[in-house]
Order: sequence, then structure tokens, then C-alpha cells
Amino acid sequence: MKDLQYGDRIIRMEGVIVEVHDGSVGIDLKGRLGFLKVPMRMFISDYPIKVGQEVAWNMSFVEQLGPEVNEKYISNLDTYLRRQKEMREKNQNNKEV
Amino acid sequence: MGKVQILLRQHVGAPCAPCVEVGADVKKGTLIATPTGLGANIYASVYGTVTEITEDRIIIEAADEQPDEFVPIDVPEDASKLDMVKAAGVVGMGGAGFPTGVKLNINLAETPMGELNPEINPELPENFSIDCGYILINAAECEPGLEHNTQQIETQPDKVIRGIKYCMEITHAEKTIIAIKKKHHKAIKTLQKALENEPAITMHLLPDIYPMGEERAVVRECLGVNLDTMQLPSAARSVVVNVETACRVAEAIDEKRPCISKNLTVRGKLNGGNAAHVYMDVPIGVSVGELIERAGGIDGKYGEIIMGGAFTGKSTELDAPITKTTGAILVTIEFPDLHGANVGILVCACGGSEERMREIAEKMNGKVVSVCRCKQAIENKPGAPLKCLRPGNCPGQVKNNLQFKKDKCEYIIIGNCSDCSNTVMASGPKMGLKVFHQTDHVMRTVGHPLYRTLRVSKQVSQDIDF
Amino acid sequence: MSITAETAKEHAHDPAVLCCRAEAGITIEPANLEDPAIFDDLVDSGLLCLDGCLTIEEVLGAKLTKTCDSLCPLTKDVLDGVNAPTTEAPAEEAEEVEEAPAAAPVAAAPLKIHIGEGKDINLEIPVGALGATGTAVAEVPAAAVATAAEEQEPKLIRSLTRKHFNITEVKRGPETKIEGTTLYIREGIEKECIDSQELVYDLKIDIITPEDYHTYSETIMDVQPIATKDGEDEIGSGITRVLDGVVMMVTGTDANGVQIGEFGSSEGYLDENIMWGRPGAPDKGEIFIKTQVTVKEGTNMERPGPLAAHTASDMITQEIREALKKVDESFVVNEEVFDQYRRPGKKKVVIVKEIMGQGAMHDNLILPVEPVGVLGARPNVDLGNVPVCVSPLEVLDGCIHALTCIGPASKEMSRHYWREPLVLEALHDEEIDLCGVIFVGSPQINAEKFYVSKRVGQVCEMLDVDGAFITTEGFGNNHIDFASHHEQIGKRGIPVVGLSFCAVQGALVVGNKYMTYMVDNNKSESGIENEVLACNTLCKEEAIRAIQMLKNAMGGEPVKAAEKKWNPNVKASNVEVIEGVTGEKIDLVKNEQSLPMSQKRKEKYD
Repeated sequence: MKDLQYGDRIIRMEGVIVEVHDGSVGIDLKGRLGFLKVPMRMFISDYPIKVGQEVAWNMSFVEQLGPEVNEKYISNLDTYLRRQKEMREKNQNNKEV
Repeated sequence: MGKVQILLRQHVGAPCAPCVEVGADVKKGTLIATPTGLGANIYASVYGTVTEITEDRIIIEAADEQPDEFVPIDVPEDASKLDMVKAAGVVGMGGAGFPTGVKLNINLAETPMGELNPEINPELPENFSIDCGYILINAAECEPGLEHNTQQIETQPDKVIRGIKYCMEITHAEKTIIAIKKKHHKAIKTLQKALENEPAITMHLLPDIYPMGEERAVVRECLGVNLDTMQLPSAARSVVVNVETACRVAEAIDEKRPCISKNLTVRGKLNGGNAAHVYMDVPIGVSVGELIERAGGIDGKYGEIIMGGAFTGKSTELDAPITKTTGAILVTIEFPDLHGANVGILVCACGGSEERMREIAEKMNGKVVSVCRCKQAIENKPGAPLKCLRPGNCPGQVKNNLQFKKDKCEYIIIGNCSDCSNTVMASGPKMGLKVFHQTDHVMRTVGHPLYRTLRVSKQVSQDIDF
Repeated sequence: MSITAETAKEHAHDPAVLCCRAEAGITIEPANLEDPAIFDDLVDSGLLCLDGCLTIEEVLGAKLTKTCDSLCPLTKDVLDGVNAPTTEAPAEEAEEVEEAPAAAPVAAAPLKIHIGEGKDINLEIPVGALGATGTAVAEVPAAAVATAAEEQEPKLIRSLTRKHFNITEVKRGPETKIEGTTLYIREGIEKECIDSQELVYDLKIDIITPEDYHTYSETIMDVQPIATKDGEDEIGSGITRVLDGVVMMVTGTDANGVQIGEFGSSEGYLDENIMWGRPGAPDKGEIFIKTQVTVKEGTNMERPGPLAAHTASDMITQEIREALKKVDESFVVNEEVFDQYRRPGKKKVVIVKEIMGQGAMHDNLILPVEPVGVLGARPNVDLGNVPVCVSPLEVLDGCIHALTCIGPASKEMSRHYWREPLVLEALHDEEIDLCGVIFVGSPQINAEKFYVSKRVGQVCEMLDVDGAFITTEGFGNNHIDFASHHEQIGKRGIPVVGLSFCAVQGALVVGNKYMTYMVDNNKSESGIENEVLACNTLCKEEAIRAIQMLKNAMGGEPVKAAEKKWNPNVKASNVEVIEGVTGEKIDLVKNEQSLPMSQKRKEKYD
């Protein structure tokens, strides 16, 4: 496993809960630094979860593990996006009917 | 002088039982309480009238006239020297308060060497033994800021030496070593002169670190033997006697003078400055407030008043009386305010008890969230005061610091010796722990360096090279 | 903290670092040295750099030539009279086994400790991990398994018989039936499945034979055995009929094509994504009846979505179950009998299995009427995640229908319970008295976690058990309950062995002083969630290690603390020692390295 070069540079990140689902929460990182969606079990909560609550966690930088592309993921992504597109088109057509 | 309060328990052991009635007129040296178990006689320290006797003290209204004469101790003509020391009620004046008559009741010539723990004595050969009995005079005066022991050596070397000789005679010790910090040049020169014709009495010079006056530290420094926490100095064929105690022994034998007064240092945030005020022969039972007034009175706002030294003393009040073991009264500057921050306390045998450390944390407005104990601080029996396994030699403190971090401490308050404090400093600040020492407020008051990183050696040369 | 001569000997080959300031001229003794057990933390937090540091055996007795401060690593340039290093002692465990033939080793999961720069320390250190001696092999001498003063007869509580019917072919046909070894699934059943659930928009059935394993699949939500109870028999006793050679596999997306249980991410080619033969996974050679369910858009992450997908798929299974009930006894190819014994006089143990209950796909249906069915079962989220006590045979008879969530490598699918290795091993171990299994849900909010955890502690207290196993699947906030269960049971004086995926990625979130006996379920090469279905779930090899460890724990034997960083050699050494002691070879399961690597696709959109 490749060692991270900056893995010990821990930064406190804060965010705001913008989506609450039964199985996950969506979090906007403050400062428009991104969006994070985590399954419930990776989210530690002391109170009932509500949209608008502020959250924080420690994270480091994201580093590339190498220049190679993993074809498996490309393939999965292609299929996944293609299916989504097909299904959306199908939904569209159904509605028109 | 007004009211004098004489506590019935001024020593290790059980409280004494009063043997005077309310209304009785007493003189300096009138026997007013006797031991019920382990203990020592207690005498009136002033001329006056007993006005009240409570559970723990006898209160005497002092007369206006206080002549120097005292009632000599009541012993038979042929009383032994040991009996005189016992009768005089002498106890360890260095602070421990162990009855001296009991301590000296040992024949060191016939005392065998105790069994030494090889784990803490790796450098000693297997059958190491000490050649003869030793009196070790504790003149370390280790609590920072105190000066009365050293001053007594400088001004009364003859009395010190007489006391030493009596102790040697009583215990059949062949030799004496006086343990004194090398920084006390004048006292050492005085002793050097006084000891010119005393081949059995030598000096051992100590470095200026804390603790050197701990009984087992004195044994280690002078004789090279590490005792474990349950062992008495007799295991190293020695008896440790504080320098003032030796003088009280001399007074008891030469003058038949009962133990009714104390030498002490008053110092701190006082009108006129923070220099030490040394008072010799202060009558026991005088109030803290009276002594502070004598030294100039408190200068404005203050943090606390400590009875005893910065490390081992306790906070006290103005109307508390001094006892046979009171070495100092310290008035400190105000405490810093931590605004309720999380505080960890590191309890160690060298400094205050956990209770005392918590008190200091509270006075600093910190919230105690973690308590660690130095690895070497041993509780011989539950509730007994902690004893350090190797006084002055650190066992490492990183693990405690990790614990403090884990417990989310922002500050830590430590009560460690010089060496352990140094170790705490090696990792604590790098981990983001802000370190206070329990003596900080005293050290700042008296202008003594804070206990943090150690910059002097633990070894000093024994040459009198100054 | 300074170390003793004994510790110095144990750590002879570890780095020598001064615990405190030491002055020039002193001779280095153990009392001058810091305990190597805490070096990892110090190195990580930047307090210590061990470059060029000599070992403890090299420095003992040497003379320090320069005054050095606390935490100074001892190097050649500050010492006189350094000893020559010896080679590393031969494997410690081998020696110990020889001295104590009854020795039984145990594995300890590495507990990661993270020290943030000055704040936010979010991982605790289990007691002993710092002070105790951290060696590669956590092991315990002499298993003190209870041999009761008087031998008492085991008491048979109940039996469960599995009758196996073999299926070699699955076809579509006009009706659902089993003819010989061919299973027919009724054509058009899909429509009824779709109509039965308001949220289900579409359902497709794919029959995947071994030749078709290299097929793209959506995320695998569940793998289920196809089984049914005989007559009036209830789950956990009597007779169960089960089909061999075929499993149900539930997959699906929402109407926008988003995976149900979005984080599953085991989508891709089946043969690259399944760790064959794991208790919860398909075995190589089996036929999959794979449903691909499409649920209403946006419900993939809501509670009703995954449940609807499971319920719709179960309609097909139910029809197969009905057909299975009618198959003639003469087609039984194999009969397995599971006897549940209580063993009075033996150490009484309980297995606590933590199951997910955070909501949505983090849910489990408990005690359906049919094995791994839906009908009659109660979702543990609705039960408030409180502990539910079941018999070991109920577990093996499919009393859990798992909705399963993340991550694919560590989730316990329905089939996992059907073949639960720890229950099987404990059930058959004659040296312990397995009294039952407790399922406890893992709620989302911490207060609720502690609520259910306290109930677990109370149940264990009432059971008067001598020891307990706690297992959990996956990783994440369920480790908070996992730790709390340890505490609640441990503080009642009951030794606890925990089993979980930890390794690198699943490092425990919290710890406490009762978490001293840990078995790591990891089998992946690098200790991470490798997205290969069931790779890091509890297998027989973990069950064996855990049982050995609990026996030792109940015998009062300490377990050596784990190393700070995950080290797969801990497991390897322990397995080796168990083999040495028991004389039985433990076949270790393979990991993802045995699967074909993704081929570059020759054409896009094939």
C-alpha cells in the first residue's frame, strides 16, 4: 500500500447538513469546499439529525495513489452512467405516455 | 502577643492529653500535655493563663511580661541523655515531627545492615555493608526560599556540633555526615572551620535540586544506598536528624530546656519586599498572622498563605498557630485564572497530596479532568502519604502526558521534583500541554526560578572550591 | 516510564531511548530507559525520531558520554562501550509452546491510536496497550479451560435437521416447481412481484450460471439461502428443507439508476467482486437467481425502498419454498443434524451479535416464519434495537433476514447467519456451554446506543455467563456500541472477546479497558474495505481464534497487548501456534488476491 505523504496533516473541516435520508446524510463543506455524503453508520450523532446542523471532522488532503487508471472503475462508471441515462429517458417517455 | 494556641498533636503519633486545667497559670516550660501513645511532651511556650482547652488545642492568654527564663525539664539527677531528649518533647523539626527520643533510641553499633532491593541498587556489590553507625545531619533546607537552617549553622555552629555529638553518643554512631547544599558557601566555610578538629564529622555537599532533604535522599547522597519506601535509614545503619533538631537535642541536654520554640522563615508578598525573614526561637502556638505582621504585613492582594514549604506545605489561615514542625510561612502572589479550562494534575510524592493539588487547581479556576500519579510515588498503605521510590531520579513521565492528552487537558499542574519536572517538560509542551508547577506562585513571589527544565547537574564536586 | 530489567530483556531488540535526563558519565541501566511499548505513539506525534537509535541490549552497561535529556534516542556518538547486537531471538511462541504444552495463543486486533496535534484525540488506548509489553504475537500460556470438578452429562435441548435437495439447473416455466434437480420459476412472476409493492417499479430475474459469472451486476444487496420449514415446524427446530447449488441474490437501483444502498459499490463483474465461499457469499459453482429491482426514484436511501426490494424478491423465494415443500423425500441428497446441547459444569458463554439498526438499508428483519423470509419478521429498527435473545439453532435456521448496507467486504448477508462460523464452532465445542445468542441493533444516536448496550449488560448479568463474544459487522459508528457492549459486560466481571473488521480502515473509533481481547476479521491484503463481497467477514479461522482466546480469558490468562499499527503477522503467528498446540491444520481462507483482475475492456459499452 502506498504511504500517504501528507496523511498526518490533519485539518479540522466543518460543514452543514443539507440532506437527511434514512440511510445517509449529505453535508456541504463550509466555504464551498465540496460535498460529502456519508452512510448513517459512518456518522456519529448525539442528537436527532436535522438539516442545517453544523458538523465537523478531521481530514487530510486527498492524494493520488498513482498515475494508472483502474479500468474496472471506468467500466463500472460507464455502465452505471449509461444505465442511469437510459432509465431517466425511459421515465421521461413513460411520463409523456 | 495575646492568644497562643498550642495544638495537642504536633508530631507523628497520637494527640497528647492535656495535664493542666482552664485557669491555670503557666510559665515557659510548664508541662501542659503528655503523650497517650507515640508522641512527645508538650510545654507551655509562654507565660500566661490557660483560658480554654478544646479537643485539639490548649489556648493560653499570654502575659504582657515574657522573661527569657524557663522552667527546666523535670528529670532525675541521673537521667540519661536520651531520657532528657524524650522529656524535653523534641520532635523532628524539619517537618516530619517524628519524636526524636524514639528515633534516637537505637544502638547503631549493633544494628545490622538491612536487606537492600537490588532493583534500585544496581551498582552496589551483593554483600554491600556500611562500616559503622552514622548520624546524617539534614541541612539540605530543600524547600526553596527557606533560610533558617542555614542561618543557624552560620550563627550557632558550636551548638550544632554539640547536638551532633550527643546524637552520636546516644546512638553509638561512630561517624556523622552533614548534608548541605553546595550553594551555601558561608555556612560551609563556617562548618569547615568548626570541624577542623572533628575527624568523625564530615560534610557532604548536595546539588541545588529538589528533593535533597527527603530522608532517603539524604541517605542515598551520603552513603550511596537506595532504600525502598518501607525502609528506615536504620537499614543503612544510620539515623537522619535535621539540623535544628540536633540543636534542640543540645538544648535539652545542656540547658534542660524543653522544646517550646521554633526557628522559621517568613517570606513572600510582604510590605518591604520578598526577602526572607528568619525568626529564631519563636514560641510555639503564636499565630501565622502575628508572624506576618512581624515581618511587615501582607502587601496588598495575595493568593494564599502557605504553612511549610512550597512543595510540601499546606494552605493556612491567619489565625492558625505554628507548631514544632512549622518551617515557613509563605504569602504568595495571586493565582493565574484558567477560566475553567481542563486541567490534569500529576501527583507525586515530592509535592502536594492530590487534595492539595486539587485545591491549587481550584484556586486557579481550572477544572480537574484527569489525575495521574508519578510511577515512583508509592502508597505504603492506603491513605498514607506517598513516598518516592528514587527521590530526585525521574522514572519517565511521557505516559502520563499521553493520558493527559487523552483526557483532553489543556493545562497540567505538576508537583514533581526537579528531575521529573524536567521530564514532563521534555514532552508536555510539544504535545500542546501547558505546564504549571504547584510551586509556581511561590517561586514567582520569592523570585526563585520556576521548576521546569533542569539546567544544573545532579552531581556536584565535593571540593570546597569557592 | 522507566523499565525493569525484565522488561529490558523482553525488549532487547527494541530501540533504546532515555526516559529522563541522564548525565554524562552514568552507566545505562534499565531504569534510564523508556518503555518501547509507547514509541509508536511518540513517533507518530513527532516527539521521537528513532533514526540511528541503538537497541536496548546494545546500550545496557554502556557509558553515556554526553548529558542527554528525556526522550533522547541513544546513538553510538553519545555512548562508550556499546555491546555487539545479537540476532533476534528465535520465534518466541515456539519456545513458549514447548514449555507449556497446553498453551493456547490468541490474536489481538491492533487498536490504532491517533494523536492529533494537540487536540481532538479521537481514539482511546486500551488498558495495557501502553504499559504492557507490545509484541507481535499476543498469546497466552496454558489454556485454563474449565474442567469442572465433576463431569456432568450434556443436556440435549433441541435439534435441527437440514434436508438438502440438489439443484443443477434453473429454468423458467409455466409454473414454479422442482423436478428432479431442475428448478422452474414461473414466467410472469415478475409482474406480481412488482404489483405487490407500491415502490417497486420494475423487477427482472436473471439466472446466473457459473458460465455467466463474468456478468455485470448492480450492487449485491443480499445473498440468501432458499429454504423452508417442514410442516408446522418453527425456525430453530424440527426440519428445514434447503436447496443446494442455488442461492437468491438481491440487487437493484432506484428509477434514476442510483444503487439501492448507494454506498454498496460492489457493482461490477460478479466474478471479480465476490469472495467465494465466505459464509455470507455464494460458493463457486452455485447458480444465482438474481433479482434486479427498480424502486421509486429517491427511495434508494429511504427506509421503505430497500425493504420493498427485499419483499418483492422474497415473493419469488416464497413460491420456490412452496414448491420445495412438495418435493419427495427421496430427493434428499444430504441430511445435517444440528444438536443444541447445554453443557452443565462447563464455562457458560453467550454470543452477542451486533446488527445494524441505523435505518434504511441499515436494518435486519428478525425471526420470519420461513428461513430468511420476510413474513412474520420484525425489523430491529422497529423493535428499538433492543437485545433479542435467540437460540443458536434459530441463527443457523435463518432467523435474520439482513437488509445489509455497507461495506460489501465486511457486511454480514442473510446467508452469513445461516452459516455463522462462530455459532457453529461454539455449538460444537464440548469444552464450553453455549447458552444462546443475543442480537442487538446498532441505533444511530449515541444516547440510544448506550441505552441498548446497558440492556445487553443486564441480560448478560442475568444469564450469569462466564464469558461472552461480541461480534459486529462492517465498521463505523457501530464500533461505539461495540465498545460499550464490552464495557457493559466487562464491568460485570465477565471476560469478553470481540470480533470485528478493524485492520487499517476499520480501526476502532473508541476503546475502553475491557477491550483487551480482540480478533480482527480482516483478510484483505492491505487491511481495507476492498469492495469484494464478504471478504472481511467472520470466518472459521476467526471463530477458532476467538474461542481459544475466550477460554484463556475465562481462565484468567492475560493477553499481550496489540501493536499499535495493524500487523497481519499477528494473526499468522497465532494461527501457527494454535496449529502447533492442537495439532490440527487450520486452512486459511483466500482473499481478493485469488480473484481475476479486471481486464481492460476491449470495446467500450460491450
